This record gives sequence, C-alpha cells and structure tokens, in this order.
Amino acid sequence: MPLYELGIIVDPEVPPEDETSALERLEGIITEADGEMLGKDTWGRRQLAYPIQKKNYGVYHFWRFNVSGDVLEKLNFEMRTNDAVMRSLILNMDRELRRKRKMDAKYEARAAKKAAKAEAKAKSVGDED
Amino acid sequence: MRPHKKRFRRRVKVCRFTVEKINYIDYKDVDLLREYTPTNGKILPRRVTGTRPIFQHKLTRAIKRARFMALLPYTGA
Repeated sequence: MPLYELGIIVDPEVPPEDETSALERLEGIITEADGEMLGKDTWGRRQLAYPIQKKNYGVYHFWRFNVSGDVLEKLNFEMRTNDAVMRSLILNMDRELRRKRKMDAKYEARAAKKAAKAEAKAKSVGDED
Repeated sequence: MRPHKKRFRRRVKVCRFTVEKINYIDYKDVDLLREYTPTNGKILPRRVTGTRPIFQHKLTRAIKRARFMALLPYTGA
C-alpha cells in the first residue's frame, strides 16, 4: 500500500461538530479499507492567499496514511460532496519521494567516498613521517 | 582598459537546492517557495535565480500545488 499525503482545507464557518464529523468520516473510509493513519498535522485557521467560495480563511489539515489506491476515488468523492471541505489534494508520497531517496543515496555515497579519500590521504602523510 | 567598456562584477548565482541538498520541495514549505515568487505572484525564472533545471522543475510543481491549496497567490495584489 502506497503512502499518501492528504491536504485539506475545511470551511471555517461550519460548526465545529460538522468539521469533526467530516474528518471522522474521511478517517473512517481510510481505516475501513485497512488503511493505516501515520500522522496528522493541523495548521488551524489560516488566511487564504485568495478567496475560495467567498471566504478569506480556511482550516488546514494534513494527513499521512497508507491505503490501497482504489480507496482514493471514494475519498475524493466524499470530499467533493461534503460541504465542509473547500479544497483537497492527495499526493502519492512514494512516487514523490522516490527521486529524493535516490539523490540522498547519491549524496551519501559521494560524502563517504570523500571521507575515505581524506582518510587515505591522512594515512599516506602519516607514513611519510 | 578601454574607457567605453563598463566594468561590473557579476553576482555569482548558486542553486540553493544543490548547495543545501534539499532533494524534495514540499508545497507546504511556503517560506521557501515565497523566495521564488515575487509579490506579483509569478515564478522567477532559472535565468534569474540560478536554480538547476531539475530543481526548477520541482519548484514550479510545488508552487503550483501551493497555489491550488491557496498557500500562494496566482496573481499579485
């Protein structure tokens, strides 16, 4: 199951119980499909860069979870039809981070090589003395 | 030195993502993205910032995502 990251903007004008129920429903969809919640992050009320649905503020939530890909359709449908959700974005983090891992490995290998070289040099200098 | 030739020192541009080894540009990192979008909201070109092509590509993607999530403006005020 790939790792996904969900970003969601909730309407700040809906009552708090509607907001929690909407979020709980989304989480229910994930856990029902044997998904695993890995992290939740909330930015709280934040000013939007431009008005959405004539509102200037939004409540930001970011989740990370493992779930099979066919659940996303359900999630997206739920978020589209729920009035409390103003915007949402799901990213496949496995795909996003694949390149990062590769490049991190490359940088690490390079650093290790450099360290080995420096060590060898220090050793050779020591031998000369 | 020929008098008509103006001398000026060119500022050395460096790719921040290469130097700081930032290998993934997150759309949530608004402070970072803001450095590449002036107040008019446009994305600064590689020519200006010196960003490497790979990172410029990632940067534009991150900025566009941030715009969609209303973290950055599409147009300036």
